[in-house]
Amino acid sequence: MTGALALITVRQWKLHKLRLILTTLGIALGVAIFFAIQTTNTTLVDSLHTTIEKLAGKATLQVTSGDSGFSEDYLKTVRSTAGVSLSEPVTETMAVTKLAGSQKLLVLGLDTSSDLQIYSEMFEEGGVVVKNPLAFTSHADSIAVSRKFADRFGLKDGDKMSVQVQDGIKELTVRGFFRSVGAGEVYDGNVGVMDIAAAQSMFGRGKRIDRIDITNSLDITVDELQQRLAAQLPEGIRVSRPDLRGQSLESSVSSINSGLTIMSFLAFIICAFLIFNSFSISLNQRWKEIGILRAIGVTRFGIQGMFLLEAAVLGVIGSAIGVAVGFALARAAIGIVLNVSQTLYGLATSPKALEFNYVFAAEALIVGLIASTLAAWGPARAAGRLDPASALHNIETRGRGNVASMPRIVLGAVFVIGGLLLTAFTRAGVGMNIQLVYVLLIQIGMILTLPKIIEYGGKLLRPLMNLLFGAEGLIAVETMARSPHRTASTVGALMVGLAFVFSCAAFIVSQKAALNHSLDKSLNCDIQVASSQQLQSSTYHFSQATTEKVAALPGVDVFDPIRVGSIDYRGDIISVLAHDMNAYFTISPDLLDTGNPESARAITSRGEGVLVSNNFALRWNLKLGDPVELDTPAGSFQLPVVGMLDYYRSEKGTIFLDSSLYRKYWNDTDSDYIFINLKPGIDKADFKQKVFDVLAGDQQAFVYTHEEFKAWVSSLIDQFFALMYLQMVVAIFVAALGLANTMIISVDERRRELGIFRAIGGLRMQVVKMVLLEAVAISLIGLAAGALTGIFNAYYLVNTAAKVVAGFTVRLVFPYSMIAWALPLVIVVAVGAALWPAIKAARLKVVDAIGYE
Amino acid sequence: MAPILSLDNVTKTFEAGSRVAAVCGISLEIHPGERIAIMGPSGSGKSTLLNLICGLDEPTSGSIYFDGKDLGKLDDDKRTRLRREKIGMVFQTFNLLPTLNGIENVALPLRLNGVASKIASEKAAAMLKRVGLDERVHHRPDEMSGGERQRVAIARALIFDPLLLLADEPTGNLDSHTGNDVLNLLDDLHAEFNTTIILVTHSDHAAEHCDRHVSLLDGEIVSDEPFSPSPVKTL
Repeated sequence: MTGALALITVRQWKLHKLRLILTTLGIALGVAIFFAIQTTNTTLVDSLHTTIEKLAGKATLQVTSGDSGFSEDYLKTVRSTAGVSLSEPVTETMAVTKLAGSQKLLVLGLDTSSDLQIYSEMFEEGGVVVKNPLAFTSHADSIAVSRKFADRFGLKDGDKMSVQVQDGIKELTVRGFFRSVGAGEVYDGNVGVMDIAAAQSMFGRGKRIDRIDITNSLDITVDELQQRLAAQLPEGIRVSRPDLRGQSLESSVSSINSGLTIMSFLAFIICAFLIFNSFSISLNQRWKEIGILRAIGVTRFGIQGMFLLEAAVLGVIGSAIGVAVGFALARAAIGIVLNVSQTLYGLATSPKALEFNYVFAAEALIVGLIASTLAAWGPARAAGRLDPASALHNIETRGRGNVASMPRIVLGAVFVIGGLLLTAFTRAGVGMNIQLVYVLLIQIGMILTLPKIIEYGGKLLRPLMNLLFGAEGLIAVETMARSPHRTASTVGALMVGLAFVFSCAAFIVSQKAALNHSLDKSLNCDIQVASSQQLQSSTYHFSQATTEKVAALPGVDVFDPIRVGSIDYRGDIISVLAHDMNAYFTISPDLLDTGNPESARAITSRGEGVLVSNNFALRWNLKLGDPVELDTPAGSFQLPVVGMLDYYRSEKGTIFLDSSLYRKYWNDTDSDYIFINLKPGIDKADFKQKVFDVLAGDQQAFVYTHEEFKAWVSSLIDQFFALMYLQMVVAIFVAALGLANTMIISVDERRRELGIFRAIGGLRMQVVKMVLLEAVAISLIGLAAGALTGIFNAYYLVNTAAKVVAGFTVRLVFPYSMIAWALPLVIVVAVGAALWPAIKAARLKVVDAIGYE
Repeated sequence: MAPILSLDNVTKTFEAGSRVAAVCGISLEIHPGERIAIMGPSGSGKSTLLNLICGLDEPTSGSIYFDGKDLGKLDDDKRTRLRREKIGMVFQTFNLLPTLNGIENVALPLRLNGVASKIASEKAAAMLKRVGLDERVHHRPDEMSGGERQRVAIARALIFDPLLLLADEPTGNLDSHTGNDVLNLLDDLHAEFNTTIILVTHSDHAAEHCDRHVSLLDGEIVSDEPFSPSPVKTL
């Protein structure tokens, strides 16, 4: 029997190619996004690890301290520690060159007077060429570059190369080459090596270094040496294995990973619904066939099995296609994600070659198979339960079915309310997998209540369509409302697709609104000068001299130089913002959400207290007055929390302290931003020009007014959500395909009805109008249901993705105007999708259609 | 009196592997007020002839004139409008739109002609009352009995006071009692409106309600005779 039923299914595929393509596409799309995001996430994390491990060379331990670095004096401490075999001080600078495309070059400052055994891969015999070692060491502008970099730009010995450094544009002279392996192959070989003293001088690092790479002697284990070094060094200086250091950085990009995971989950729901839609349509198409099969003796189980087997086969085929498409998608996505991690987190990573992960591929195949079988389970069950007598009977006896039963509606409502309540009252850290259940409950609940929504929607639309479009409008609405089996799946596909679009848009708008609110409160200066185009740069900072030049400009009323640092706090990498707190409170008097501004200002200005972001307080359960202990290169200190504010720079939290503390404990006088309030009457545009003039040829600077800065931050958010925008387009595309499919099936199913319509005097144009209006009616209800679900999903995203993942308090701002904008778009898409089916309907041969069985 | 419908050597052939002539050189004249039964066994060409008469199908050769117009010279839209306004159709399987209720089904041809919803509904309600259905008019077809559905179909067919009423096996899906009711209704309506009726049937009993019998066999007219109802026939 299985063979015979399989044959029937294959014949169905031949007859209904579009449905087959759409189903396979649905599965492929879901699997592709799942596989692409898994691969992207892994590649991002692998890239972080690989970059760190390659840069570490043979080092078994690394000594680091946030991104400000630490005093090179600690090198003596390290070298004097028993068990240290080799120890190399390193500075790392990502410099922008003036070569074609403004290529970035990682400049490693190494002690070229040592034999650099830790990095012997790069410099092993025969691989390194330094024609004149004496010239290399005696000239501060000497740089050796990897062969790959040299070949790419045709650099020869003695060639000059300009780079943007902290104090302007400097020229370097190429005086050596090394192999593009190990540390020399990160960033696709864009690596140069300078003597560490020259690098410190050129890049304004003073006597600070970024890390010390260490190998242990044979008589001590790595762990023992780690403990011994940790005991010798201050708390703020970390000793860790290179691989574990990667893990720590990995947590910095956890929000990217979480965000992508949630998005892939939502995308998968859309695709699962498309599969459900497709199989529901298949059931409608094969109504009579199922009746005949049942009549000639095929069991319920046999019918159900036929559908499930079809779903399983399509699941495997679709998943295989999805894995291939997903791999291509990951190739595009990884570039975007690496760019985001660098711009937002300052994590420059070497893009690791995309590797095809067979485990993920197998997982994706299994997930695709399960999803398609589960999505088809409902229609398969319904097919099995079909009453053969009804199925064989003519069209007029086909009832509405029990899709809007009260238990189903109640269950749906319970699911929706339950999902929303869980979202509202969830506690932080409950776990991503559990939280995903909340949104799943909301989706399932909305799908269960969909027949009721269609019923009420139909009742609302009926008089309106009747009034506006006459009998054709009336029939269109009735056709939609009276065929809940067919309509619900399409409205559902539209609903889920549009809900995805609305919720993503709402999430982005909410994030932007929250950020804007925060920027208005905490960064409300007239002019903001930044040292880099990234939110955080470890390379470009303003020196104290530069800062003073800007401060001395006429028209400056209040001046606050800010240093942005990243430090390790109990295993998390958090942001530290060092302000002139007195000036900061003058510029942003409404800064605090919690705490007394006057006392907070006085205490922080004296360096006797800190402000913390709300997400940091939430994460560590801190209240006003609680102490915060910070480990610094100069030792630990503990200060009370005297104020809290919403601040969205870091998912792990932000601490605000006075610049005097930062200078004292981090021995760092640089700054990354300068906030300026101008004296009354000073023109902002004129002042911006003065800043450019005073820094011309000296230092790169990016000057913004408050509004310009907000626009720039908004563009960063858009970068962060670039992948989400892509998925929104895909969701609309999928929903349009679903609608087109439904309309084709609707016309197919209603051949006889359309024939009757024509027989009693319906013109061809009236048939076209009727079919198009049905599509419009479906799309309008899909839009309404999508908007409602979108609000629920947005509430979920705001409360989960933002609050639980990062502890951010983001107020839901739903872009209601978007619904108004979506209305004509959805109608156009609906009309476009239904045009061909409508023309097909108009061309029906009436005699054949009336006789159609 | 000029015929309301005349067929001049009408042939309809279908290509189904080989050429099959469903209707073969039929010539026929039908005058206003006539009640004609077109009879014959299955496959004799009855339904094809009906489809040609109402303009749903086009003849392969020959001409059909209805109300003085050559149907072959009308485009699809004009034929459709003609069908809507001047020809009422009643089918064996009722062919009501399942999504509309009784009154909406009857009002549909008027609505398609641009008549306002309220007026169309009033006219439809009156016609339904005339065919004996003044209750259950707001029910949908799947909530009606076979007889009720056929009454709705007849009301829809008569809503424009058509010149010609085509009934294709109108009692074929009904029990004998209900079938009789429907035939009686057609008699009453004919008496009231003097509508020309063409009844396609292979039921002698149904044919007895007509005053002319045309018999078809293999697409050709084999007899065309007037018929006088038996005085003992009970309606």
